[in-house]
Amino acid sequence: MNTSRRAALALLGAGLLARPSWAQARTITDSAGRKVVLPDRINRVFVAGPPASVLVYTLAPDAMVGWVRLPTAAEKEFLVAPARDLPETGRLTGRGDTMSLERLVAAKPDLVVDFGSVADTYVSLANRVQEQTGIPYVLIDGTFAATPASLRLAGDILGRSARGAELADYADKTFANVDAVRARVPAGKRPRVYLARGPEGLETGGRGSINTEIIERVGGVNVAEGLGGRGNTANASLEQIIAWQPDVIVTLDRAFHQAVKSKPGWDQVRAVAENKVFLAPSLPWGWIDAPPSLNRLIGLRWLLATFYPTESGIDLKADTRAFYALFYGVKLDDAQLDRLLGGAAAR
Amino acid sequence: MPSSIDSSVVRPRADARRSAVVIGGLLVILLLAVLLAAMLGPYPLTPGEVIAAIARRVIGAAQPGPVDTVLFQIRLPRVAAALLVGAALAAAGASYQTLFRNPLVSPDILGVSAGAGFGAVLGILLSLPVFAIQGLGFVTGMITVGIVYTLARALRSQNEILVLVLAGIVVGALAGAGISLVKILADPYNQLPAITFWLLGSLSGIKVSDVQVVAPLVILGLVPLGLLRWRIGVLSLGDDEARALGVNVRFVRGVVITSATLITATAVSVSGVIGWIGLVIPHMARLLVGPRYDRVLPAAALMGAGFLVLIDTVARTAARIEIPLGLLTALFGAPVFVWLLARGRRMWS
Amino acid sequence: MLGARGLSIGYDGRTVAAGIDLTVARGEVLCLLGPNGAGKTTLFKTLLGLIPPIAGEVTVGERPLGSLTRAELAKSMAYVPQAQVMEFAYTVLDLVLMGRTVHLGPFSAPGRRDHERAHAALADLGIADLADAEANRISGGQRQLCLVARALAQDAPLLVMDEPTASLDLGNRLLVLERVRALKAQNYGVVFSTHDPDQARDLATTVAVIAGGRLAAYGAPQDTVTGPILSAVYGVDVVVERTESGRHVVAPRC
Repeated sequence: MNTSRRAALALLGAGLLARPSWAQARTITDSAGRKVVLPDRINRVFVAGPPASVLVYTLAPDAMVGWVRLPTAAEKEFLVAPARDLPETGRLTGRGDTMSLERLVAAKPDLVVDFGSVADTYVSLANRVQEQTGIPYVLIDGTFAATPASLRLAGDILGRSARGAELADYADKTFANVDAVRARVPAGKRPRVYLARGPEGLETGGRGSINTEIIERVGGVNVAEGLGGRGNTANASLEQIIAWQPDVIVTLDRAFHQAVKSKPGWDQVRAVAENKVFLAPSLPWGWIDAPPSLNRLIGLRWLLATFYPTESGIDLKADTRAFYALFYGVKLDDAQLDRLLGGAAAR
Repeated sequence: MPSSIDSSVVRPRADARRSAVVIGGLLVILLLAVLLAAMLGPYPLTPGEVIAAIARRVIGAAQPGPVDTVLFQIRLPRVAAALLVGAALAAAGASYQTLFRNPLVSPDILGVSAGAGFGAVLGILLSLPVFAIQGLGFVTGMITVGIVYTLARALRSQNEILVLVLAGIVVGALAGAGISLVKILADPYNQLPAITFWLLGSLSGIKVSDVQVVAPLVILGLVPLGLLRWRIGVLSLGDDEARALGVNVRFVRGVVITSATLITATAVSVSGVIGWIGLVIPHMARLLVGPRYDRVLPAAALMGAGFLVLIDTVARTAARIEIPLGLLTALFGAPVFVWLLARGRRMWS
Repeated sequence: MLGARGLSIGYDGRTVAAGIDLTVARGEVLCLLGPNGAGKTTLFKTLLGLIPPIAGEVTVGERPLGSLTRAELAKSMAYVPQAQVMEFAYTVLDLVLMGRTVHLGPFSAPGRRDHERAHAALADLGIADLADAEANRISGGQRQLCLVARALAQDAPLLVMDEPTASLDLGNRLLVLERVRALKAQNYGVVFSTHDPDQARDLATTVAVIAGGRLAAYGAPQDTVTGPILSAVYGVDVVVERTESGRHVVAPRC
């Protein structure tokens, strides 16, 4: 074998294995079935996208290198230092590139965590980045139903197994609660729901889309069926919405929430007429969506309380305090709670 | 028979010499650009480290570590890709401009970019692995031009050029509609940003294996263009005149379309859609070496390569985030193009 | 050298003219006369092998045109089209060098010998000093001469010239005609088309008058460029008069 090939193989081997600070190495299997070799201690974690930033913030905020997008001042109020003051590092290759691989290498992380789709594209991207930079890259399944398992896996990977288990237990309990309440509510009393996105409220998610899966999980019936293949963002017309006559509208857009009663034509929609338009809280991250990550767990409880006020028996204030303390490490005072939930009042 | 001429008056080498000087100069500039690009990047490397690392590799004593990784796995493959893509797009643009006898033509005229774009975004939609996305883009790019060419031949018109252009517009528009459809169906969190970014053009994920595939394909396409450089130039006189001068027009045209499409499809499949290089660089080359294709081809290829290397260096160092290449080439290319137009028709020399 | 027998020309299935017989040998000038739309350009393109004949055949040096390769044809005949402004600003030398294409190897560009021939052709036409000038910026007549030079550089014994004096002013017109006379003297064969019967009378060895879809007249100038024939073909009333110096001019009957 000639010299340059030997050198190339040495480089490849070295890049993958010989990390200077490794005392020992361990091999884990990520959600995509990839076997990844990691250092024993993870001190610096790079997050590949917004859902991963939520995941790593809740599990190992001290190990985070930076945020995908810098939190706004309003969002920072609901995050703890020192993590909340970390710099912005950008999105990684393949997800709408904003970051250069060189910057990744310069940041010297022990690990890159990606939380979301584990389809082939992302597997091959993970392999590419790993090969090119020599930095281990793990993919964690971000589907909502897999949340408890993903939390446990991520906890093990990051060396925070106990914390991962704690959060996973909470997720398990929440799902169990949701299922129990659903069982108690007869099919007839489950609301037909429309998710209104965007300032005009005409953008929505079809059945099975990642934006609305949490709504469907609690038993809400997504009126927006048949809008596109596997259920994706789509545009609806007001006429269509009136035809659907949803019982409840959930929106993420404050401007829409404020203005919906005065928008011409919307008073014909039952949910608007009956003051059942709810604005999802969104600090530090959206409760329904944006990003589609762990932040949705509290959203589940909120939806239960909103859709089934009597059957669910949920004390939203207490639950919110508990969630924020457990997941985000933030103790909410009354003023903050009101600000958070106040906007969610029905209109 | 014409009288013989005093050989001292004949200076074929003078004109050729001037072109050689210009092309030599472009080569030097290109090398400097490559060197500069190797030195610059978000990961801080001093020129000394760069040269030392290259020297070590050359003598076979490569030292693994972050410097080596950044330089040889990330930065240099990217520079190599910029060279190849820039050269390919500029060469294809020069070829099509000569073929269609129109200095305002870009390599996309037969729909290869739209076709490759459709294949690649389809691959993203179907969550295919990266090499499959690139491969699909390449294949659909080639197929699109194949359809255009077959359509044009089937219509059997006297004015083959016109029919080719029209067919290219139609099929390209269809591919564009296909791209829009894919965007609607795509998952808005992961796929849509990836699709959007891809369509804007970027070399950010390039690795060594990409270069190993792109290089032979681009060279494979450039060789026929180089070999037939004289006859391709003669085509610019028009079909009838070219035939009467002894050129097999159909064959040469077929070679140009095939080769130019091959290199463009290869470039687009790996870098996304990067506009303006194929349109503007051949103009600049003509300003330097005149309109003869046998000189424009090497000049444009060198200029395109150097230009994209510089642009890509800006793309990855100017800001904290990656700037899509298509944006930068448009920022540069559009004003230059307007300036060229303003200087009048004679600038199309 | 070039001959046509029973030739019918046209395209897209439409016959423009039929039953054409003609020949041109070295040292001869064949002039094509005829009204607009009669088919002169179509005939040229058919003779050059650029479009197929609808019937009949064209022979080049006794061989049927169809049996010759594109390269062989280019070595036998050179085409001088009407000069136009081009998309690209080639120099005169560039254009003339293109005439050397058929003599180049498949992967070659013009070399020393080709440059010599090109310069010689330019010198022959008296425009050697235009070699480095931009072809689009010289006068129409000079541009036309460049194309003649290109045809000369092609080293083909027969030149086919499509209305070489169209849209040229008097000076340029005389220049071109004088060169055609010189070519005839140098034993080239020339086919050229014109609207001007005086040119035909003056230069041609043979004249072919194409009108009404057929060969209306074919023969020596004195037999074909006559008052009755021209009047019939062009639908006018003209006579051919002899001048004091012994030349002939065509003029309306007074």
